[in-house]
Amino acid sequence: MKIVIANGTHEADFIIKKFKKDKHKLIVINSDKDFGNYISSSNRLPVIFGDPSKAYVLEDAEAWDADVFIALSTNDIDNYVACITAKKLFNIKRVVSVVRNPKRVDLFKTLGIDSVICSTYLLGESIKNESIIEDFIKTISIENEKIVITELIIEKQCLIVNQKIRNANIPQYLNISCIYREPEVIIANGDTIILPNDKLVIATTPEHHLEAIEFIQRKEIPHAS
Amino acid sequence: MKKNKSVIIGSGRLGASIAAMLSDIGNDVVIIDKDDTSFRKLADTFGGYDVIGDATDLSILENEALIKEAKEVIITTDSDNVNLFIAHLCFYIIDVPNIYVRLSDVDKGKLIKNTTIQAIYPFILSIDEFMNMRGLNHHENSHS
Repeated sequence: MKIVIANGTHEADFIIKKFKKDKHKLIVINSDKDFGNYISSSNRLPVIFGDPSKAYVLEDAEAWDADVFIALSTNDIDNYVACITAKKLFNIKRVVSVVRNPKRVDLFKTLGIDSVICSTYLLGESIKNESIIEDFIKTISIENEKIVITELIIEKQCLIVNQKIRNANIPQYLNISCIYREPEVIIANGDTIILPNDKLVIATTPEHHLEAIEFIQRKEIPHAS
Repeated sequence: MKKNKSVIIGSGRLGASIAAMLSDIGNDVVIIDKDDTSFRKLADTFGGYDVIGDATDLSILENEALIKEAKEVIITTDSDNVNLFIAHLCFYIIDVPNIYVRLSDVDKGKLIKNTTIQAIYPFILSIDEFMNMRGLNHHENSHS
């Protein structure tokens, strides 16, 4: 892959080292001459000096048609302009921006940045996910939070246990993608039978997320004796 | 109700002068700048509102400047990147009918292609003025 890394300090250095190991073609641009020299000597690669939100700098860097462009400066707006320039004028397939201000995450995505990373926002989201749902459920969101993937452990009292998925009346909004059953991973189909202690990986939309968890975890109502 | 509101972003010489002119001809003007000392450039007769705040923040534009009621926005901060970002916000998100933006770097104009955003380029204006003074029409010249 051809990857452009625009600005940033130690995080840029870290990413460069990681990608270099994987033999990607790296283009590094930095507007700080001293840090650029440091990155250049510590990674033994050329660093283009300049402001990556300027088209002529991306031109000098021969950034055309790169697969990924990552903007790492501490100025959100500069990162936005660099990403939009990369995408619109240099035909770069995927642009990624780091932002400081969490309010800009959704805004930047709406304006066309493919991926927006904000440490405060991520922290908030993970605290939210940890607190809504009990701790044995892990949740991640992908595609701008349009899909939620959740990992659930099946207890033996669950109604869904010992049934073929086909016969379990699984609602439309929920898909059982795979099952982790020590030591193997099973790709679920209609004939798969769910067993106690299975770890289910389910995909849903965010609207039906809690409903889906509730469905999977329905338990037998104990009969009064 | 006919919209008569103009929002000016950046109270530098250009922003403050445009604000005063539009206010004089009876427009309802709001001017935003993140630095309150910038409003000193406003004329004493300026009859509009000033808002201190960062106009790259959507909530300032919407809640403080009430930009959704505006018929036009004029963006004149001293940073091209900020101007371009606010212009994109006004076009793609807020849908302001008329958007004018000052850009020092002519290259940045490529990023407002296929929009209704209109750019003012001091560089091009200066070249044109120079050519006029020198009595040379460079447009004709470059086509010949």
